[in-house]
Amino acid sequence: MARELKSKLNKRAFTALLITCILGFGMGAFGLINVGVVNGEKYKLKAESQQLSDTKVSALRGTIYDANMNPLAQSADAWKIFINPSKISDQETMETIAEGLSAILDLDYETVLEKCSRSKYAYVLIKSQVEYEDKNAVIEFRNAHKGYNQIIGTEDDVKRYYPFGSFASSVLGFTGDGDVGRSGLEYYYDDILTGTAGRIITAKNAKQIRMSSDYSTYYAAETGLNLQLTIDQVIQYYLDTALENAVKLNDATYGYGIVMDVETGAILAMSTKPDFDCNSPYAINEETETKIDEELADEEGNIDEKAKSDAVVAARYAQWRNRTICDSYEPGSVYKCITAAAGIEEGVVKPEEMFNCTGSYEVADRTYHCSHRAGHGVEDFTTAMMNSCNPIFIQVAQRLGKATFYKYFEAFGFAEGTDIDLPAEFEPGADVTYHSFSRLTSVAMASESFGQTFQASPIQIINAINAIANGGKLMQPYIVGSMLDEDGNRVYEREPVVKRQVISPETANTLNMMMEKVVSAGTARNAYVPGYRVAGKTGTSQKLTLGEEIYVASFCGFAPADNPRVSVLIAIDEPKAGAFTGGSVAGPVAAEVIEKTMQYLNVEPQYTDDELARLEESVVKVTGDTVAMAQKELQSKGFTVKVMGTGDKVVKQFPRPGQTLSKNGVVVLYTEDMDPAMVTVPNLTGLSVAEANNVAVACGLNIRRTGYTKGDNIASYRQSSEAGTDVQMGTVVTVYFRTEIKEED
Amino acid sequence: MAAENTKRRIDPKLLSHGGMDLTFLTLVLMLLTIGLIMMFSASYTYCYYNNNGDSLYYFKRQFFFAVVGLAAMFGASKFHYRAYRFMARPLMYASLVLLVVVLVVPPPAGYEGFHRWLYIPGVVTFQPSEIAKLAIVIFLAKDIGDHYSEINSDKKMTLGNRTLYARTFYLLRYIIILGLFSVLVLLENHVSGTILIFMLGIMMLWLAGFDSKWFIVAGVAVVAVAILVILKPSILPAHAQPRITAWLNKDYDPQGVRWQTNNALYAIGSGGWFGVGLGNSKQKQLYVSEPMNDFIFSIVCEELGIIGAAIIILLFVLLVWRGFYIASKTDDKFASLLVLGLSFQIGLQAALNIAVVTDVLPNTGISLPFFSYGGTSLMMLLGEMGLILGVSRYARVKKNLF
Repeated sequence: MARELKSKLNKRAFTALLITCILGFGMGAFGLINVGVVNGEKYKLKAESQQLSDTKVSALRGTIYDANMNPLAQSADAWKIFINPSKISDQETMETIAEGLSAILDLDYETVLEKCSRSKYAYVLIKSQVEYEDKNAVIEFRNAHKGYNQIIGTEDDVKRYYPFGSFASSVLGFTGDGDVGRSGLEYYYDDILTGTAGRIITAKNAKQIRMSSDYSTYYAAETGLNLQLTIDQVIQYYLDTALENAVKLNDATYGYGIVMDVETGAILAMSTKPDFDCNSPYAINEETETKIDEELADEEGNIDEKAKSDAVVAARYAQWRNRTICDSYEPGSVYKCITAAAGIEEGVVKPEEMFNCTGSYEVADRTYHCSHRAGHGVEDFTTAMMNSCNPIFIQVAQRLGKATFYKYFEAFGFAEGTDIDLPAEFEPGADVTYHSFSRLTSVAMASESFGQTFQASPIQIINAINAIANGGKLMQPYIVGSMLDEDGNRVYEREPVVKRQVISPETANTLNMMMEKVVSAGTARNAYVPGYRVAGKTGTSQKLTLGEEIYVASFCGFAPADNPRVSVLIAIDEPKAGAFTGGSVAGPVAAEVIEKTMQYLNVEPQYTDDELARLEESVVKVTGDTVAMAQKELQSKGFTVKVMGTGDKVVKQFPRPGQTLSKNGVVVLYTEDMDPAMVTVPNLTGLSVAEANNVAVACGLNIRRTGYTKGDNIASYRQSSEAGTDVQMGTVVTVYFRTEIKEED
Repeated sequence: MAAENTKRRIDPKLLSHGGMDLTFLTLVLMLLTIGLIMMFSASYTYCYYNNNGDSLYYFKRQFFFAVVGLAAMFGASKFHYRAYRFMARPLMYASLVLLVVVLVVPPPAGYEGFHRWLYIPGVVTFQPSEIAKLAIVIFLAKDIGDHYSEINSDKKMTLGNRTLYARTFYLLRYIIILGLFSVLVLLENHVSGTILIFMLGIMMLWLAGFDSKWFIVAGVAVVAVAILVILKPSILPAHAQPRITAWLNKDYDPQGVRWQTNNALYAIGSGGWFGVGLGNSKQKQLYVSEPMNDFIFSIVCEELGIIGAAIIILLFVLLVWRGFYIASKTDDKFASLLVLGLSFQIGLQAALNIAVVTDVLPNTGISLPFFSYGGTSLMMLLGEMGLILGVSRYARVKKNLF
C-alpha cells in the first residue's frame, strides 16, 4: 500500500516536474528565441539608437581663393538662435522675449512675437548665422531672466563671408542655410567645398551622459577642399570697374565681360553688372526696387503686395544670373572673324583679294544691305573686315559652301556648350538657337556669315575668338585652377585642355593681323591702346524685340596681336544713352580693361613712332634747387611751372619726381612749408584731347590720356576725378577718350 | 545513551545524520555565484548614480546576506526535518499575522497603496509574502503528509452530524487556507505574490493526490480568469491594469509603462547568441530601470547571450529535477512534500520571471531567485535550500562528506 502510494506521489511529482520545466521554462525559452533571435536585430537597432549619441563634427566649407591666393569666400563659425514657445507661459514673457531678441538680432518685433506665440511648437528658429557677439548678447539676455534658459537656445551654425561683397558675385554665387552652395561656383563645387562631416559616436546612458571613451568611435571629418580660381583679383577689379562705369554711362540694362588667358583658356576675370552682394544675396538694390515700385504702382500709387513680392523674387534671380555663361545673344559682326578664318583656311579668299561693295547683296529672294548703305566700293578683304562689310562676308560663305561653312560653325564650338566649370551654362539647341546643317538654307547661311539668326553665349564667343589668338587651338575654358587641402597642399591641378585645332597657325596669324587693323583703323578703333597691339572685332546685334530698337553692343578681341596674352569680351546689353554700336559702346571699355591688364601683366609696351611723339615727359627732381633753376629745367622739358610761396629755394614739388606728364603738364613748386594749393576739377568730358589738356592746364591740373586718342572725331567720355571735387594743384586726372563709330558693323 | 541524550539541549533525534546531496549543493552554489556576479554587473551603474558613486553598494550588501544565508543554509541542513514539522502551524499563524500587520502599517512615501514590505528600521526590510510562501509549503507538506492516506482513500469522516469523504474535508480545508493567504496577499496589491502562492498551493494539492478532475476544473477556471483579465483589465487593481494593456498592446506606453519591458527586450536583442561580454551591457546604463531587480535576467541575456541564458535556465531545471530526485528517494511524506514544494517554488518563480522578462507574460514583479537583489529574500532562499539539503541527508542518495 505504502509503496503504491509513494509511487503515486512520485508520479504526481514527476508530472509537476514536467509541467514546470516544459511549460514554465518553455515560455521563457520561447521568449528568448523570439526576442533574441527572431526579432533580435530589430531590438538591437532600437537599443543602439537610444544608446548612441551621434555628434557631428562639422567640417568648415573650403575657401575660394583668387589666382594669387586672396580669399574671396570663407566660412567661419556662427550660431542659430531658436526658442521653445511651448515653455512660454504668459503674455508678459512673450513680449519681453520678443523685445529682447528683436533688439539684439535686429529683427522685426512683430515677427518675433508671432514666433513666440506658437505655443504648440517646441522649436522655432529665430535667426541663423548669428555672429559671436550677437550670440553672446542673446545668452546674456537669457541669463538675466529667470527660466529663460528653458526657452531660448543656441545651436552651432556656419556663416560664409565674402570679404569683397559683390566682387565677382555672379561667378562665386552664394550659400544658403547650412552653408550649402546655391549658385555660381558655390553650387557647382558644393560637394568638393563641403567635405564630409565627421562623427563621434559615443555610447550614452539614459541620462544622456556619455559613457567612457572605450565605447566611442570617431570618424574624422574630411574638410572640404579649397578652390584656387584662375580669376585674378586685380584683372577682375579692372573689368568690374570698367563694366560698372559703362553700364552707368550708356544707361544699359547689363554689362558683361570676360578676360581669358589665351594659351590655357583659363578665365582671368568674369563679370556681370549690375550684380549683388554675396553676403546678402537676397537684398535687391534700391534702384531695382524703385523701378519695381514705379512699374507696379496703379493710378493711386498703391502697390499690389503679391505682384511686388513676385517682382522682387524675379529681380533676385535676375541679379544672381551669370550672364556671361547663362545668356545668349546674336554675336553679330564678331562672327565675321570665324567666317574669315574659315575662308582663309580653306583658301577661298585672301586678305588682299579685292571685292566691290555696292551696298547691298542678294541671296535668293532676300536683299542684304551693308551698314554703309552707299557701299564701300572696291576694297580688299582686310578692308572689308575693317569696314565690317556684310556683302563681302556673304560671298565668302557662299564660296565655302554650306557643308564647309557649317563645319567651321561646329568646329569653333557654336553648336555646343563650352563645359566650363560653372552652373547653368547656355546649351545651344539645334534648330532652336541655331540652324542645324539640314536646315541651313542659303539665306540662313548668308545671315550666319555675319553673325545673325543664331544665338551664342559670351563664353562661347570669346572661346572661339581665343582659338584665333591661340594659333588655332580651341581651348576648354575653366575657372578653377587647382584645389588645395586644408594644409595648402595642391591636391588637384587643372591641366589646360586643347579641344581641337580649328584652323592652322598660319591662318590664325593672318587673322590676327586683320583683326589688329580692325582695331587700329577699323570699327574697333576705340579699343586701341597705345603701345599694345590690340586685335579684335566689334559687334552690334539688334535684339529680337518687336517695335523697339534695342541692341547688344559687343567687342571681342585679344592683345598683343603679335603674341596674344589675353582675350577680352565686352558686351553692353541695351545701351539707351544714344550710342549703341559695338565700336562706340564696347570698344572703349575693352581698351580700358586691356590697357590696365597689359600693364598689370608687365607686358612691355611697344610704341610706334607716332605714339612716341605723343609721349609724356618725366618730372625731374628739383627740390633743393633755387626757384629760378628749377623753373628753367622744368620749362626746358615743356612743363608749365607754378610757384607757391615767396622763398628762394624749392622745398616741395608736386607732382613728385618720376611722374610722367603730358608735355605741357603743370608742376607746382613750393618754396615754403605750406598747405598744398587746392583746385576744383573742371568737367573734362566731351572734349577733344587738345581741349581737355588746355582746360586742365588752365586749372593747374594734368591729364593722362587713355583710350582712342588719334584721328578725328575724338571725344573724352569719362574722367577719373569727378568734376566739382577739390584736389591738390598739379594732380593727374585720367581722361578716357573714344571716337564715335557709326557703323552698326 | 539515553542519559547522555538528555544532557543535550537539542533532542538528538532532531539533528540530521549522514551527508547531504552534493549535486544539489553544487547547483545551489553555482546559481548563487553566477547570481552574485550578475547582480554586481547589473547594479554598479545604477548604484553609481543612486548611492553617491558607490558602485559596490548593492554587491556588498548582497554578498553579506549571501554569506549569512550560506551559514543559515548549513545550519538549517543540520536539523532533522522533523524539527520543521513542529514549526508548521506556528509559522502559518505568524505568517498570517504578518500579512495582516503589513496591511495596517502605512507604506513609505512613494509606495502608497503597496503594502508589501515590513520595515524594522535599521535592522531588516522584508516581504511577509516571502514568509507566507515558506509557511504554506511547510504547513501543507506537514498536513498533507499527516493525512496522505486519508486523502488517497475512500475513508469517510463525520463532521458535526454530516458524514463525508475525508479527502473532501481536507480539500475544502486547504482551499480555505490557500484562499485566505491569497486574498491577504492580493490585498497588498501584490498580484505576482498572489499568483505564486496560489500556484504553489495548487501544486501541493496536486502532489497530495486529489482527484485529477478538480485540477482540470481549476485549470479551466484559471484560463477563464486569464481570458477575463485580458479582455477586461479593469477588474484588476489599478496599478496592474496598464501592465496588462501594455503587454497586449506593445505600443501602449503611457508614463513609460513599457519602458522597463522594452529596454529588457532591447537588451536581449543586443546580446544575441553569445552576448556582449560580462560587464559590457549598455542597457544596464540606466536604460533597464532597476536592472538588479526583477529584470536582471535581461542584463544576463545581453552580457552572456542566449547561450549563457540557456545554461542558467538549465541550472534551474537541474535544481528542480534534483529536488524531485531527492524527494523521490525520501520515504517520509512530509520530507518529500517539503522538498518538492520548495524546489518547485524556485522553479515556478524562475520560469515566471524569465517569461515576464521576455514579454511572454505581463510584467508582474517576480524576482529571479539567486539573481535579483534582496538581502532577506536571498537569506531565506538559502535557508530553504538548507531544508532541502537537510532532507537529502536521509534520502537514499549517494552520501558524501558534508
